[in-house]
Amino acid sequence: MSATLAKGLNSFKEVIDAPIASFFSSCVHCGLCAEACLFYTETGDAQFTPIHKLEPLRRVWREEYTLLGKLGKLLGLSKPLTDAELTEWEPLVYDSCTLCGRCAMVCPVGNDLTYMIRKLREGMSSSGHAPEDLIGATTRSITIGSPMGIKWPAVLAQIKHVQAETGIEVPVERAGADYLVLMSSMEIINFPEYLSALSRIFKQAGVTWTLASDAFEATNSGIQIGASDLAREIVSRIVVAAERLKVKCVISPECGHAFTALRWEGPNLMGKPFGFEVKHILEVLDELHKAGKLKTKGKDKRPLTYHDPCQIARRGGVVEQPRRLLSEVAADFREMPDAGVMNWCCGGGGGVSANSRAEPLRLQVFKHKITQIEATGVQTLITACANCRIVMEEGLEHYHMNIEVIGLTELLAEYLVEDNAP
Amino acid sequence: MKLAEKPDILPGTVGEGLAQRGICRREFLQFCTALTALLALPPTMTVAMAEAISKARRQSVIWLSFQECTGCTESITRSHTPTLENLIFDLISLDYHHTLQAASGEAAEHARELAMKDNFGKYLLIVDGAIPMGNPGFSTIAGISNYDMLMEAAKGAAAIVAVGTCATFGGIPKADPNPTGAVAVSDIIKDKPIINVPGCPPIPVVMTGVLAHFLTFGSIPELDSLGRPKSFYGETIHDHCYRRPFYDQGKFAQTFDDDAARQGWCLFKLGCKGPVTYNVCATTKWNDGTSFPIQSGHGCIGCSEPNFWDAGPLYEALSMPISATASMLGTAAAVGTAAGAAITWHNRSTKAAAKAAHEKVTVQELIREDK
Repeated sequence: MSATLAKGLNSFKEVIDAPIASFFSSCVHCGLCAEACLFYTETGDAQFTPIHKLEPLRRVWREEYTLLGKLGKLLGLSKPLTDAELTEWEPLVYDSCTLCGRCAMVCPVGNDLTYMIRKLREGMSSSGHAPEDLIGATTRSITIGSPMGIKWPAVLAQIKHVQAETGIEVPVERAGADYLVLMSSMEIINFPEYLSALSRIFKQAGVTWTLASDAFEATNSGIQIGASDLAREIVSRIVVAAERLKVKCVISPECGHAFTALRWEGPNLMGKPFGFEVKHILEVLDELHKAGKLKTKGKDKRPLTYHDPCQIARRGGVVEQPRRLLSEVAADFREMPDAGVMNWCCGGGGGVSANSRAEPLRLQVFKHKITQIEATGVQTLITACANCRIVMEEGLEHYHMNIEVIGLTELLAEYLVEDNAP
Repeated sequence: MKLAEKPDILPGTVGEGLAQRGICRREFLQFCTALTALLALPPTMTVAMAEAISKARRQSVIWLSFQECTGCTESITRSHTPTLENLIFDLISLDYHHTLQAASGEAAEHARELAMKDNFGKYLLIVDGAIPMGNPGFSTIAGISNYDMLMEAAKGAAAIVAVGTCATFGGIPKADPNPTGAVAVSDIIKDKPIINVPGCPPIPVVMTGVLAHFLTFGSIPELDSLGRPKSFYGETIHDHCYRRPFYDQGKFAQTFDDDAARQGWCLFKLGCKGPVTYNVCATTKWNDGTSFPIQSGHGCIGCSEPNFWDAGPLYEALSMPISATASMLGTAAAVGTAAGAAITWHNRSTKAAAKAAHEKVTVQELIREDK
């Protein structure tokens, strides 16, 4: 039982589908994707050109699925991929790509390079070329239940704290609730204010919700490392819990890739449509606000800006909701340059933040985010992804910037109108 | 002041000839400026060119006409008012040109032989018409076959100017099935510099421009891969066509008498070969700058390009197949579909095999044991 090159090569052959074949054959080698990539613009290093990161997959596609490539292979003109080459490509595939999807937005022929990198990682991981830290995180997700090794008792402890702080009961295993709430490890460990904000908002809105003891973790390391078999297992825990508790909707927390994993990849991984809806917390809050169930009072006087998490805005389409919500509570909201679907990644998505080898590069490319923040002149940054949040907090700390990062849900809760505040 | 009274006018030169004809220096300089611009030379070359041309000994020129229609000669002479272009053409020493010369019979041939002897190695040989390589009797002059006359005259030529598409590329005589075995000058002469001035016929000023360049610099102008002077054949007619904006906007005439045609829209769909024809018709125009084919409502037929005579119908758009028939297309489609199906089947089986070979990935299998 081991990863092998043969398994990896087989994976490459397996993941190449019609979209990937058409993407490769329609690439016009214009290089526009380079200019869209944070890792290229901040380093000027051409090896970070997004399409170049896909070279191993492109070679397999050429050799296995094109007429000329097949002929070349038959005549011995092309050499099969080697372990050495995959080792060389590993940092390009895992350390310098956050699956942010900005390159796909500028591609003149519409190639979804993010989709391709995601698929490329299938072969990288099954040939043993995934970064050690991601292997660790994925292993903990499968064996323990969470990439950071958090177990249900830790969540229970946090629930106790939240209940003590808010005086509101946090429902657990409540069948028939409207919403099944998920969290990311980051929120359990670093940002407990999320759960407390949520329980106050939901109490006020009068909606029923629940946590599930066997499906509290929303993050999916299987997606990041590129192992669909494992990603499926992680998603299926949530599906099983949602079906058992018969909830109408599962709420993806303030986490980018968790939303992608559950909302977009989930049904494909399971091979069937979900019997429940999947919404990002910002979508739910926006709906509650529209229905008049989420009322706020007062406005934050501090100048605020909002960082669009790639998986929520660009890949997830949740762009207007945070702005509507922010307009309720922010007196001085300022958009950063390139805000919205063309926002620049924090530099830590797609498993990069979990990969300690990538840290120097991640901090180097974080400079772009600093330029964006400085253009707004704010001292307070709002976002809706716990991973973006921790990456930006670390980056700001590294560059000695005195800027506070806050989750949007938490900010809303601060201005929540409560009938019987504790 | 007449040029002839100037001390620097040497007898027997072009300058003297100009002076005799009452051409003043101002007019001559204007002509040289126009030529300089036409040849895409730097403006500073105008004076140098004027000096060189006015002092040049009248260049001996022998013009041989083979399988041709005399259209090239018509073109170079057709000018209702005597222009400077014609004058300078007169001012070369045209020692032999069987259409234009007054002499005939043996006297004419004698003039040619004398010029070849007196100016051996220095005269300019102009050729229009293709050379038949089949029966030598297909085309003869004074009992001499075209081939023999060309080979003899080429020996002492400083350079050869092939004028017209017949001499440059074979032209209409060479059109399928080429009954006379017609070939271009460059097909049989390999040891002399050859300037190709194609066109059916070429634009007069292009011919005189090439001669002026030779007179001024004593060398041949910069040529492209087909031996054509780059200054005249560097860009396509399409590039400079005044109807180009319509092409860019996708506005095309569909027939020669529709509204679009009346409004002067692009003739591409009516078979205009402007996009693949390298010539200066669109800028220099014809008949003293009056017009050119596209301006008069007809597409370019590409007469200055090799094989224009066999390159498919004149009235079919460039992108249309020129020889494919319905059955050919049907066969091609069937072959393409079959090949596509075969490749698809092969690709699908490759992918299916990969899927079948997939072993479920467990966390243990993320690590290489041999690593």
